[in-house]
Amino acid sequence: MRTPLFEEHVALNARIVDFHGWEMPVWYTGIKDEHMATRTSVGLFDASHMGEIFVSGDGAVAFLENILTRDISSMKAGKVLYTFFLNETGGIIDDLTVYCITPSERYMLCVNASNIPHDLEWIQKQNLGDAVIEDKSPVTALLALQGPNAGDILKACLDFDLESIRYFTFSELNTPEYGDIIVSKTGYTGAGGAELFLPADKAASLWNSLVGAGATPCGLGARDTLRLEMGYPLHGNDIDEGTTPFEAGLSFAVDMDKPDFIGKKALAEQREKGLTRRLTGLELLDKGVPRQGYPCMKNETQVGIITSGSISPVTGGGIALAYLDVSVQDNEEIAVEIRSKHLRALVKKPPFVQGTISK
Amino acid sequence: MNIPDDLMYTQDHEWGKVEDSTLRVGITDYAQGELGDIVFVEFVETGTHITKGESFGTVESVKAVSEIYAPVSGTVVEINDALADTPELVNQDCYGDAWMVVIEMENPSEVNDLMDAQAYGEHLAAEAK
Repeated sequence: MRTPLFEEHVALNARIVDFHGWEMPVWYTGIKDEHMATRTSVGLFDASHMGEIFVSGDGAVAFLENILTRDISSMKAGKVLYTFFLNETGGIIDDLTVYCITPSERYMLCVNASNIPHDLEWIQKQNLGDAVIEDKSPVTALLALQGPNAGDILKACLDFDLESIRYFTFSELNTPEYGDIIVSKTGYTGAGGAELFLPADKAASLWNSLVGAGATPCGLGARDTLRLEMGYPLHGNDIDEGTTPFEAGLSFAVDMDKPDFIGKKALAEQREKGLTRRLTGLELLDKGVPRQGYPCMKNETQVGIITSGSISPVTGGGIALAYLDVSVQDNEEIAVEIRSKHLRALVKKPPFVQGTISK
Repeated sequence: MNIPDDLMYTQDHEWGKVEDSTLRVGITDYAQGELGDIVFVEFVETGTHITKGESFGTVESVKAVSEIYAPVSGTVVEINDALADTPELVNQDCYGDAWMVVIEMENPSEVNDLMDAQAYGEHLAAEAK
């Protein structure tokens, strides 16, 4: 599959890789350069492979309250929340953002690309009432404009003042050139900026305008190192149907005071019993690159496993997310086993670098 | 694609430069370009005997871990220590300052099994198909 920006990526000489069936740019000039451009100035990412599912109708709120872990009924127009679809055992089917377009009438769910078919099937199965579910992923593009200078580019290209909205809210713009755009003050980089949803057939023209105004095109490689520096989990790596939000340290996105939602009972039981493992961060003290699947060791006993890892382009050191036995404390020194060598690592709650989000 | 005429090449994208009875070894421009930003390199220790085709080290980019294979059999007599602190040199100067190891060849005639620049160029063209 290709996004509406595939031709732009090819024209920019991107290295294209397969990402869950999508032909996506992994880098244009290099992951480190693109990473640093986003941290220090402004990067532009094609996230059009992600899914946009609209939920409307009389039953929309009751339906969403049942399948999401946040309080939907109190959302105001223009609010965005990070939330989950959970299974009955509290495992994470997907992590997503929910957009309140018109309270009690219309909502948008932005889900992970690789999960779109599975999410849709699961959502439809839960819809026993009269909610209307529309998958608009194929006709919706998503551009992530991220970095401390994103506001300047938005002003220049869309005459929009990013300072006029707060973090995790959005504005709807009607533009002559690009049609209806949702400008969302959110992102997956910790660098600040916005995510722009717009009609797929207008995506190339907005992409070229943003690049022309000075945004650096960035691929999935930099997207991954940026989110890792902030400790943001990636579904399929750090969280999945076998892990709960509590284990992943994401309890902020679960409202246990809600009357009910799918997975709540299992989470309540887990809270009662206590956790056995938790997702946290590791900073390598020795030179090396921690990667998914590498064991974490303490006194020659395995106490965990790495779920995401890389080199931080900012610090130059190895960083990782790992599930560790709850007996292992923050700031404790453990070892990561890399090709049968044990490298020293410090357990540290992310973020690994300071973000530049303007809230 | 830079493929210097005075070097010999393997199918796994290492280069070798014959210096009397030793072979200086690194990875090719194609290899560094495919890997992307190189962030870590590690080699066997000086004095280690390696057999042709055997891995003598690891090159890691942000995205990938890649083994490097011995173009010939022999003993590693020198390793490029500078790369431990500046692995990005491999991206910047793969045929020069970013040489990786020097191997004292057990059987210098093994060099004849390596490709010359023209053959390596054809090998790359064939792989691209």
